[in-house]
Amino acid sequence: MENLRIGVYICMCGTNIAKIVDVEAVAKFASEVPEVVLAKSYKYMCSNPGQEMIIQDIKENNLNRIVVAACSPNMHERTFRSALRIAGLNQYLLEMANIREQCSWVHSDPVEATEKAKALVNAAISRVKLHEELESVSARMCPNVLVIGGGIAGMTAALELADAGNTVYLVEKENHLGGNLARVDLTAPYLYSARDLLTERITRINNNKNIKVFLSSKVTSLTGYIGNFRAVIQNLVSIQEGKTRDTEVEIGNVIVCTGYKEFDASRIVHYGYGKLPNVITSFEFEKMLRAGRIETKEGKTPKYVAIIHCVGSRSQEFHSYCSRVCCMTALKYAHEIKSAIPDCYVSDIYIDMHAFGKGHEDFYRSSSQAKTLFLMYEKGDRPVIHKAGPKDDCGMLIEVNEKLSGETIEIPADLVILMVGMEAREDAYEVARIVNISQDKEGWFIESHPKLEPVATTTDGVFIAGTCVAPKDIPDTVAQARAAAARILARIAKEKIEIDALYSEVNPNLCSGCRLCNLLCPYSAIEFLEDKKQSHIISALCKGCGVCVAACPSSAIKGRHFTDQQILAQVEGLLAEKL
Amino acid sequence: MAIRVNPEFINELDRFGAEDVQLCYQCGDCSTVCPHADEVYRFPRKSMKLLQMGLEQKIETTLEPWLCYYCGQCSEQCPREADPGETMMSLRRWLISKYDFTGISRAFYKSRTVEVLTIIFVAILTGALLLYYGFTNGNIGIYDGEGAFLPSHFVHRFDLSVGAILLVFLLINAFRMWKMVMVRGTNFPVPWWLYIKKFYQLPWHFFTQKRYSECEKKRGHKIYMPWLIHLGLMLGYVTMLVLVMVFVELLQKGPEIRWEVHVFGYLATIGLLAGTIYFIRGRFKKHYIQYKKSHGTDWVFVILLFMIVITGISQHIFHRTGLIEMANITYVIHLMSAVPWLLRMPFTKWAHLVYRPLAMYFASIRREAIERDTAVKELYPLVIK
Repeated sequence: MENLRIGVYICMCGTNIAKIVDVEAVAKFASEVPEVVLAKSYKYMCSNPGQEMIIQDIKENNLNRIVVAACSPNMHERTFRSALRIAGLNQYLLEMANIREQCSWVHSDPVEATEKAKALVNAAISRVKLHEELESVSARMCPNVLVIGGGIAGMTAALELADAGNTVYLVEKENHLGGNLARVDLTAPYLYSARDLLTERITRINNNKNIKVFLSSKVTSLTGYIGNFRAVIQNLVSIQEGKTRDTEVEIGNVIVCTGYKEFDASRIVHYGYGKLPNVITSFEFEKMLRAGRIETKEGKTPKYVAIIHCVGSRSQEFHSYCSRVCCMTALKYAHEIKSAIPDCYVSDIYIDMHAFGKGHEDFYRSSSQAKTLFLMYEKGDRPVIHKAGPKDDCGMLIEVNEKLSGETIEIPADLVILMVGMEAREDAYEVARIVNISQDKEGWFIESHPKLEPVATTTDGVFIAGTCVAPKDIPDTVAQARAAAARILARIAKEKIEIDALYSEVNPNLCSGCRLCNLLCPYSAIEFLEDKKQSHIISALCKGCGVCVAACPSSAIKGRHFTDQQILAQVEGLLAEKL
Repeated sequence: MAIRVNPEFINELDRFGAEDVQLCYQCGDCSTVCPHADEVYRFPRKSMKLLQMGLEQKIETTLEPWLCYYCGQCSEQCPREADPGETMMSLRRWLISKYDFTGISRAFYKSRTVEVLTIIFVAILTGALLLYYGFTNGNIGIYDGEGAFLPSHFVHRFDLSVGAILLVFLLINAFRMWKMVMVRGTNFPVPWWLYIKKFYQLPWHFFTQKRYSECEKKRGHKIYMPWLIHLGLMLGYVTMLVLVMVFVELLQKGPEIRWEVHVFGYLATIGLLAGTIYFIRGRFKKHYIQYKKSHGTDWVFVILLFMIVITGISQHIFHRTGLIEMANITYVIHLMSAVPWLLRMPFTKWAHLVYRPLAMYFASIRREAIERDTAVKELYPLVIK
């Protein structure tokens, strides 16, 4: 066995750690542990001088194991691994002890906190002794990309990728491209025509030889791993005709842009949608706008139009979230109605006006200027729509407890537009299963980090963009689509994919082929080799979570960097009696 | 019972000056900065909302517009330039037209031409009457006493008749205001003795305008200039009114100066002149937010007032220097301006001389009545149910 020479570094993290933990005492304790060559404390280990110190010490003292007691490894493990690499040491010969989040930040007694820090450092020292040199592996990166969904997000991503010279398979369930945006007239707040936005994209896609469009089709299976996926695209028309026409494609990455569906307004019974003929949804109104004729079912030009916000959104009963686009769309309607019918009175019945985006506040102001009547209702106290009496000059009367004045009022209306919110598509679950991504309780796809990884998922090589992630407007959707494309282009440019060495391995001498692990793996990373009757872990898909390691009845699976011996040594180090 | 909104009402208020009320998005900054808004009287925010919704019957019964002295701090704060101060002003104009039973006020606010033509008509009528009297009964060369062109006992009777007409209009309108505000506008009992208990409010607010000084206090000014000027103007008007209604005989005697009455005349003239110049300057320079927008009726008032002051001073000087014919001619012009100016009062913004102290009086009655009502409901919740 090699001669162990361990270096231990205790970080003060400014005063974050040092104000509770006696770092000098911890360093002194560590220096007395056998095989520890040196133990030092420093103000900020993650700073350049801090890293330099480690590199210098490794070179001068021939250190071959490093323990850094500092913050969470989530924060700085990469930093210190890179220091090890620079010093010529394998990066996996590092172990971090978290004495900030798990010690100084959560304790108030300095004596006990210092004792705990010593225990954590001791555990790390015991563990690092058993660390092995590991090498990450690399796999081929196929430059083809599968884009699921032909709305504004899918088309934008496809063009971005194809323009860079890659083959893109664009799969759309409907028989035309455009998605939900194809149902819209003008867009808020700058009143660009949605048709203009779309036709430009569609023409470019049709003219682009790199993009293969599959209309009336869906993806039925996705197998493989990042850089090396295989997808099956099924033509839905041929299925109806009783034939199957499946296409199998080879791809390296996938972008899911399956969009949203609108809330079913008839679920809110007392709005009378479906019963009162002149209560319509925002999409039905868009249809009127695109036809250029705003009129009631009886063919009359309305004198009073009322718009009700948050239909299905921001309520505990239906969806608690805000659908983000309806407020500005409602203002857009007010604008379009007033320009088409100048004598028409528009009432805007809302909970809160969310004018968050660029140009939105100005648009809201201009709508006020045009004398749109804004009326606020209380979240739990929805407006009620009645049929008007024969003496009234309007078709309906909407009763509202107006929140800002405290008055109960009646609003005349000939046409009521319900601003239906966005919700996850009913087939989102099916898509999630096929591409192996997760959904939240509302059915939206979950990003790998809500702030720092908004388009990546927990499955490497599968990205999400647009309104299948959460309600959002066109600029945000386009930005996400381009972000996903950029992420993929960066990977394609590298030609290969580096896979972290932290994956599990099956020892073929011990595996009995029980397939227990196949079912448990949350990343679908374990395949069953029919010929050998044994399980095999695809290292590119494995995240090293350890579920299979724990479950294997024959102890045939080893989690690299998380071996039983390493973990037991860590536990023993933590519980060692004499510190 | 739900009240139906009237989206057209906002257009009507446009003509009374509330041009920007639609911009209000109810942030409430105005009510926060206002020194007079409180739990019971929530303005300008709530008044703006009622106006946007066009709840005419509701606004009719409110006192809030009168509780505002238009210091303009709300309009300075407003993040949307909805001009709450001007909105409150417009609501006062509108309320005046609502209290007025003749419809004249409404006609004036809707059309400046109607107003100007009416003023010219009344002025010519006054002039014709005075000239007819003068030329049939007197001599243009005599100012007072036997054979005078406009003898003081005649002028006194003339003044009193104008005053009586004015009083009739004001009393009827004040009664209508009371009915709207205190009868239709209350859904709680108002004990009769509260009217006696709170009666002191009427003269107190009329003579001190104490609440106006509170506006300036909140602004942090040491000297409450607009309040002082306003008070000076008001005292000037009242002094002048008393002089012409009661002491006109003494005033007209001459040519020696009778200090026991004339000193009041001089003081009132200085007050009126200084105040008028201050406000005209303000309207021209627009350095205070409340002068940013001047309604047509504001200018008519100021021009007439200026004419009255100038002709008043000059006829006084002419008389004392022996230019009797000139004194008589300027006297006629003086009265030709003064009569329409006075008769105009019940129909325009200057009716606030009466309505505002009344509103303060009613507001304090209403406040106590509400407090009593709430206390009773808390004590006997079951009885109410």
